[in-house]
Amino acid sequence: MFGSPPLRHQIVLLVLVAIGFALPPFVPEYYLFLLNSLMVWAALALGLDLLMGWSGQFAFAHMAFFGVGCYGTVILTKQLDLPFLLAMPGGALIAAVVGFLVAIPSTRLRSIYLALATFAFAEGARFVFNSWTGLTGGPDGLRIPTMTIAGWKMTSDRQVFPVLAIILAMLLFATQQIVRSRFGREMSAVRDSEHVAMASGIDVRRVKVLAFTVSALYSGIAGGMYALINSFINAQQFGMDGAVLALSMVVVGGMGSIPGVLIGVVLIGLLPVVLQTKLRSMQLWQELIYGVMLTLSVTFMPRGIWGAVTGALRGRR
Amino acid sequence: MSVSVLFRIEDLLVQFGGLRAIDAFSMEVEQGSIHALIGPNGAGKSTVLNCVSRFVTPRSGRMVFDGRDLLAARPHVVTRMGIARTFQNIELCREMSVLENVLVGAMSQTPRYLPFLPGFARGRIERDAVMQAEALLERTGLLPFRDAKAADLDFGRQKLLDLTRALAAKPRMLFLDEPAAGLRNAEITALDALLVDLVRGGGLTIVLVEHVMQLVMSVADHITVLNFGRRIADGGPAEIRRNPDVIEAYLGTDAHAAG
Amino acid sequence: MLTLALFQGIASGVITGSVYALLAISIVIVFKSTEVVNFGGGEMLMSGTYLAMMALVAFDMPYVAAFGFVVVGMFVLGISFEAGILRVIAGRGRHGQLTLVALVVATVGLSYILKGVMRLFSYTEQARRLPSLFRGPPVEFGQVLLQRQDLVIVGIAVLVMLLLFAFFQFTFTGKALRAVSQNPRASSLVGIPVKRMRTAVWGGASILAGIAGVLIGAKFPVTPDFGGTVVLLSFAAAIIGGFNSLPGCVLGGVLLGVAQNLVGLYFSSAAIAVTPFVVIMAVLIIRPEGLLSGRSVLRKV
Repeated sequence: MFGSPPLRHQIVLLVLVAIGFALPPFVPEYYLFLLNSLMVWAALALGLDLLMGWSGQFAFAHMAFFGVGCYGTVILTKQLDLPFLLAMPGGALIAAVVGFLVAIPSTRLRSIYLALATFAFAEGARFVFNSWTGLTGGPDGLRIPTMTIAGWKMTSDRQVFPVLAIILAMLLFATQQIVRSRFGREMSAVRDSEHVAMASGIDVRRVKVLAFTVSALYSGIAGGMYALINSFINAQQFGMDGAVLALSMVVVGGMGSIPGVLIGVVLIGLLPVVLQTKLRSMQLWQELIYGVMLTLSVTFMPRGIWGAVTGALRGRR
Repeated sequence: MSVSVLFRIEDLLVQFGGLRAIDAFSMEVEQGSIHALIGPNGAGKSTVLNCVSRFVTPRSGRMVFDGRDLLAARPHVVTRMGIARTFQNIELCREMSVLENVLVGAMSQTPRYLPFLPGFARGRIERDAVMQAEALLERTGLLPFRDAKAADLDFGRQKLLDLTRALAAKPRMLFLDEPAAGLRNAEITALDALLVDLVRGGGLTIVLVEHVMQLVMSVADHITVLNFGRRIADGGPAEIRRNPDVIEAYLGTDAHAAG
Repeated sequence: MLTLALFQGIASGVITGSVYALLAISIVIVFKSTEVVNFGGGEMLMSGTYLAMMALVAFDMPYVAAFGFVVVGMFVLGISFEAGILRVIAGRGRHGQLTLVALVVATVGLSYILKGVMRLFSYTEQARRLPSLFRGPPVEFGQVLLQRQDLVIVGIAVLVMLLLFAFFQFTFTGKALRAVSQNPRASSLVGIPVKRMRTAVWGGASILAGIAGVLIGAKFPVTPDFGGTVVLLSFAAAIIGGFNSLPGCVLGGVLLGVAQNLVGLYFSSAAIAVTPFVVIMAVLIIRPEGLLSGRSVLRKV
C-alpha cells in the first residue's frame, strides 16, 4: 500500500475527467443531476473513509462540516462577491478549522469521545445554521446565487458536470497519495493498534486530530460542490439522515478502500431513486432499509461489497 | 570494562484505585547488559514496563534514561529517545503486511517533515527504510514472509515480528515483555542466541520481563525480582538462584514451570 | 417573579434530569462492560415509550402491567441485538480500532431500525403522550408547584437506580459483572461466563432505557425522532461523570436537566439544542476525566 499508486489508478482519474467533458451533450439533464449528486456524495464519503477506514476513528459530524463548507461557499460568494474557485476552498478551509477545534479536546482521553462530541456538534451546528439569521437566512434558508468559474456562469447541471468531475478527480488523486504517505502509514498504524503506534514513536493524538481535520476538509469541499448543484439551502439539508447515508456508503461499499467507497456511493446513492419508483411510501421505509443494510453489512460483510468481491476472487485463484 | 548506568527507576509508586500495584520500586540497568525483571504472575512486571512506555502514569517516583526524565515525556517521545518495547499479548498492525509492520516500527527513524509527501516522492528515504527493514527481517528469519498479512502468521512468528518491529526503531534500550511465553523450546533457543547477539554485537541494552526461567537464567547478567509490587531481590543469576526469599515467593510456588 | 421561575425551572430540571440519568446509566454500563458506545440508546428509550403505548392503548393494560410488558420486550430486544449482531462482530477477533468502529456502526444501524419499525405503527404519525402515570392536584413546596406525576417519575427513577446499585453491590451476579468490566480475561479465568454476562448487560441496559422511555413519555409528547434529542443529553450527562461512573451519570443527568431548563428560561428554547454540545466541550476541555473521578490514565495492554 506504500510507494506510488499503480499507473492504472491514475489513468482512471484521467478517464473520469474525460467523461466529465465528453458526456454532457449526450445525456439528459436529469441523469446529469443524479451523477452530479453522486459526485458530491463521493467527495463526502472519501473524507469519511479517511477517518473511519484508514485511521479507525468514528465521528458523526460530517454532515455538519458539509453544511459549514456549503454555507461558507455561498456566503463568501454572496457577501464578498468571491468567484467559486476562491469561495469553495474558503468554505472548505472554514470547515477544516472548525473540525480542528472540535478534534483537539475530543481526542484527549478516550477514543470514543470524538464520536460523542461530534454527535453533539452535528446538532449544535444545525442550531447555528437555523438561528444565525443574518448569515444563513435562518429557517428561511439561503438562495444560492449563480456561481461563476473563470467567467463562465454555472446555470445548469450540464455546465456543472465537468467542474465536479475535475474536483472529484483531484480529490481521488489526493486520497491515493495521502494513504501512501508517511501520514497514511501513521493512520493505518493507529487504526490497527494504538499501542504499536505509540511504541513506534507515532504521536497518536496528533494523527487523530490531523485525520479528523483532513476529513472535515473533504466534507467542506463536498459542501462547496453541493452549492454548485443547488439553488437553495437550509438547515434541514444537513441533518443526521445525510450522515447515516454517507456512513452506509462507506460501510456497505467497503471501508478503507477507494473503489469500495465509490461502489458504495453509487449503490446507496441510487437506492432511493430506484426504490421511489417501486415503493410509494419510500419516506416511511427508508430508515428501516438503511438501518438493516448498515447493521447486516457491518456484521456479515466486514469489508463491504468490495472486500467480499475481492475476497471471493482471491479465493477462486 | 567501564560500567555505566543507562536507566534508573527510583521509588516508583503506582496505584490503581486503592490497590498499590507498584510500591517503592527501584532498579538500575547497566549499559550493554541483559537485565531480567522477573516475578510471579500479577507481581507488577508489566505495570513497571507500562510506566516506562508512559501508558501508565505513576503516583510518584522517578525514571531516568541516559540523564533524561522519562516522566516528562509522552509515549511517542519515549521511543524517539531510544527506548523500544514488545508486547506480552502480541500487538501488531494486523491488517498490514509483515514488511509494513517493520516500516511502522522504523517511523521514528525516518524524517518527520512533510507528513503528506507520498511514498514515491520520498524516494530515497523510503527505499532506504525498505532496505533496512528487509535486512532486519533477514536477521530475524522473517524475510520469506515479507508480504504476508501480519494476522496470518503463526504465533511464534507473530512474536518474532513484534520483536523485529521494536528493533526497527533502532533502540538503545529494548524492553521485552515475556518474549518466550508460548514459544516452543527450539524457538526459545533461537531467541536466546538472537538476544545475546544483539547485546554483545550491537551494543543494545535489554530488559527482559519474563517468567520462563530457562531463558532468564541462561542470558541475564543481572536479575531483579518483583513480588506483590515490591522488589524482593536484586543481583546476579547465581545469587538469585540461592536467595531464600526468591525461592519462597517465586521458585517455590512455580518450581515446575521454572524447569 | 424571576426567582420563582428559577426554582420551578430547577425542580423540573431535576425531574427530566432523573430520566436522562437513567438512560446515561444504561449507556455507561454497556460501555464499561463492552467498550461500545450505544448510539441506539435514544431509540431504545423511544421504543420503550411506544411499547408502553401499545400495552396501554391497544391491549388496554393497567400501568403496572405495561411496565412489565416494556421490561420483557426491551430485555428481548437487548439480548437479541447483543447475541445476534455484536457477538458476531466481536467474535471475528481483534482488528484494532476497526472492530470498535464496526460495533459502533451496528448501534447506529440499530437506531435506524428501531426508528424505521416504529414509524410503521399508526401511533407514531403525530406526537403523542402516554396517559398520566398518576393523577391528582399539584403539590406545593413553598411557592413551587409540582405535579404529582412528576414526583412519581422521580420516585420510580430513584427506585430503579437504588435497585441497580444494590444489584451491583450485593448480589453475586452484580459483583461478577463489575469484575468483567474491570478485567475480562481474569474474570473468564475464574469461571465467570463473560459472554453471557455481556448479553445480560445489554438486556439490562435496554430495560433501563425502556423504563426511562415510559417515564418521559408520560410527561412529554413523543415522536420516533425523539430518542436522538434525549440521547444527546444523556451522553453529555455520562461524560460529566467521566463515562465510567454511575453516580456521575446521576449528577450529570440532573445538571443537564437543570441546565437545559435554565437555558430555555434565560436564552431561548431553541438554544437547548446546543446545551449538550457546549457541556460536552466544556468538560472535555476543562476536565476530560469527568467531574467526579480522580486522575487516572490507564490503558490496558
